[in-house]
Amino acid sequence: MNYSETLIDHFRNPRNAGMMREPDGVGEDTFDGCGDLARFYLRVVDGRVVDVRFQTYGCGPTIAASSAGSELATGRPVADLVAVSEQDVTAAVDGLPDERLHAAQVVAGALRAAARDYLSRRSAPSGSEVRQHA
Amino acid sequence: MKGRVYLDHNASTQVHPEVVAAMLPYFGERFGNPSSVHGFGREAREGLEIAREQIADFLRVAKEEVIFTSGGTESDNLAIKGVAGARGSGHIITSQIEHHAVLRTCEVLEGQGFAVTYLPVDGDGLVNPDDVRRAIRPDTILITIMHANSEVGTIEPVEAIGPIARERGIPFHVDGVQTFGKVPIDLERFGIALLSFSSHKIYGPKGVAGLYIRKGTKMVSVQHGGEHERRRRAGTENVPGIVGFGKAVEIRAREMDAEAVRLTALRNRFWAGVQSRVQEVRLNGHPTRRLPGTLNMCFRHVESESIVLGLDLKGVGVSAGSACTSGNVEPSYVLVAMGVPLDWAMGSVRATLGRENTDEDIDYALEVLPPLVERLRSLSPAAVP
Repeated sequence: MNYSETLIDHFRNPRNAGMMREPDGVGEDTFDGCGDLARFYLRVVDGRVVDVRFQTYGCGPTIAASSAGSELATGRPVADLVAVSEQDVTAAVDGLPDERLHAAQVVAGALRAAARDYLSRRSAPSGSEVRQHA
Repeated sequence: MKGRVYLDHNASTQVHPEVVAAMLPYFGERFGNPSSVHGFGREAREGLEIAREQIADFLRVAKEEVIFTSGGTESDNLAIKGVAGARGSGHIITSQIEHHAVLRTCEVLEGQGFAVTYLPVDGDGLVNPDDVRRAIRPDTILITIMHANSEVGTIEPVEAIGPIARERGIPFHVDGVQTFGKVPIDLERFGIALLSFSSHKIYGPKGVAGLYIRKGTKMVSVQHGGEHERRRRAGTENVPGIVGFGKAVEIRAREMDAEAVRLTALRNRFWAGVQSRVQEVRLNGHPTRRLPGTLNMCFRHVESESIVLGLDLKGVGVSAGSACTSGNVEPSYVLVAMGVPLDWAMGSVRATLGRENTDEDIDYALEVLPPLVERLRSLSPAAVP
């Protein structure tokens, strides 16, 4: 399998890995097909993401996409992040092989879930949001 | 850092330099078609028959009982479809952990009206010979059980299954692709009527394999055309490949026993090293009744492919137990059949050692593997308390 240099770099040196205490938003997504799981924690100030942490179980591309996704989310308005797409995440790792597109799907899904969690906490406090792909 | 360490010998092996040397003339001056009557053809025929003799000698069978094919998959297909075709209908016994070449072939035959029993295995991956005995029906036409499983290396009790088949007059096919040239196979004592074996697992070239067919075994051919291979398999023989295969077998005859001892020790040292450095790891396959160089391990809370990629980036080639295609990771069907829990099975990694591996290779693997597993676990939500 051929991966981009960007993807390999994120896999070797993941950015923003780990947990976050008392985050402003948490979301995760899983891919039933392979059990890959990505979870994102957001720190939000004035409607903008100022810090991101992730925890991921999955293949190399899913780990790399999580790291790239954390960079993608940092500094972004939460209002934008609720619409982050698989294509955005795929582009952030300089492309994914067709057989590994699920990596971007899981990461984009988890980022959107974390953004929605933040927004719903603002309107009414609730637990973290969990989504699942079929 | 060490260059590259190949630990995937159950997938394929590097062709032995003596094998390459033996093959070369058959690409050049001895290029003839072995079916031709002229001198060019006779030279090619001679190479073919020497190889057949080398393999027959190794298996202690008659030359006429060895035919050449294009690979282990073809050998398995020919053995199973050949026997099934000769009988027209009936029941086949196999196991749940066979190679896909056997499983898919059996499934196709099921679609054509044959009945198939897929026997379970125990936690070590062993088929129980009593299960085979119990599965036999009046219309059973074939028993096909592998000699050793490629993923976990467990060596099946073919020596106990063969006599059961013989006693009932049922042909016994053994997929010996992973054991041929690695551990002894006594066809007579094991009661084997058909044995599939391959070249590229034992330092020979790819695209060539063999099938032993015990004299008197009733079968039809699957591929039709000329009268090659005693009408068992039509098609001009891959002469250079077959010559190389013969040479590879000749070398195995002199190196196999000592190598088995050396690789078993090396493999055991690797496992002991992993166990002492990594938590939550388990061995898959039988602890002792196992291929000499095979070590299959599960690392909990880590996905196989991330370990394979991480090791690849360090120059170490191993294979993943679970395979991800189109975003669909299937845990190994072999591990599932052995009852390995899913959260463990997803983290299985197979290292298979071969003739060029050294103590230094294992030291290097032990240097890079534990920190990699630790790093991947630190990213995983499941591993965080």
